[in-house]
Amino acid sequence: MSQENAPIKIDKWDGNALKNALDDAAKKIMNESYGLVESFKLIDGRLALCSIAVSCSLFALLWDFLYPFPASKTVLIICVACYFILTGVISVYLLYFEGGVFYVGLEKDKAGIDPDDKWTLQSSLKKYDDQYCLKITYTGGVSKQTRSVERVCSVTEFFDEEGTLCYDLYEATVKGLKDSLSADKKAK
Amino acid sequence: ISFLSDLKRMNKRQVFYQFLSFGMIVSSALMIWKGLIVATGSESPVVVVLSGSMEPGFYRGDLLFLTNDLEDPIRAGDIAVFRIKGRDIPIVHRVLQVHERDDGYVKFLTKGDNNAIDDRGLYAPGQLWLEKGDVIGRAKGFVPYIGMVTIVMNDYPKFKYAVLGLLGIFVLLNREA
Repeated sequence: MSQENAPIKIDKWDGNALKNALDDAAKKIMNESYGLVESFKLIDGRLALCSIAVSCSLFALLWDFLYPFPASKTVLIICVACYFILTGVISVYLLYFEGGVFYVGLEKDKAGIDPDDKWTLQSSLKKYDDQYCLKITYTGGVSKQTRSVERVCSVTEFFDEEGTLCYDLYEATVKGLKDSLSADKKAK
Repeated sequence: ISFLSDLKRMNKRQVFYQFLSFGMIVSSALMIWKGLIVATGSESPVVVVLSGSMEPGFYRGDLLFLTNDLEDPIRAGDIAVFRIKGRDIPIVHRVLQVHERDDGYVKFLTKGDNNAIDDRGLYAPGQLWLEKGDVIGRAKGFVPYIGMVTIVMNDYPKFKYAVLGLLGIFVLLNREA
């Protein structure tokens, strides 16, 4: 991702663009302001599953081309069944494992001995709605305990009339949320 | 253009996922088609009626759903979709006469409902009958009119490529939340 400092400008009526802009900005804040290292394991899992599904269908295409139906019947049945099972698995993966998670950041232990603390960001924005819900979850590397905080804001708080993201306002909100979790951590 | 800003902010993985999403859509269509082929036993389970030779039952542009059950004996009155050897385009006509031998060999004659004469004029030179191997399937159901889209797309290939191209671009450039 390039380090652009140009303000993000989107179509303010496009719900998808709103959520993507807010998510991308939150990722940038977590990476830059807190020095977290982004972990791509969750996304890689999804990419791997989808790649396997697509390879399955490409294999079926190739096999059927080389050995036309009905010789390819068995292989086709296997590939079609595998493909749809994989599609089901991907849906489950997206729903339960990813569930709106768009960022996982690792806080490396300063001594380099203990396992990393994990900061997870999830967001949701319903279609045609303006209520953007941001949830930050902290998972201690050593303690394995989780703590989370979430905040629902209207997207109008962060975008101006032109559709430009007011980065400073949003940064303050995100940092406030994260710091409240960190303070919680220290207090306990 | 504001939607480009969405795309510029994507990292390598997200870009790869855009292509994968496109691949998943194409794969789903492909797998459904191959699945239908296996389920019906026919190499082309959905065909479009191209001529008016079966009117008033089927009109040009109707979509036909076929099954190809090799165990089910061919009988006069069945609507068979078959290919003449050496030609690409399948023909949808009705079986007129059937001859069966004890050893299982079957030969049959076809004719379009709306045609004045039987199909012997359409068969390959010297061929008087069709055999089981020529049959792609027999019609089990149909949907009227919808096949006209396919006919138009094949008559104007540029239109087909334009539609497919636009759909592809739309999927690739549409970043989901």
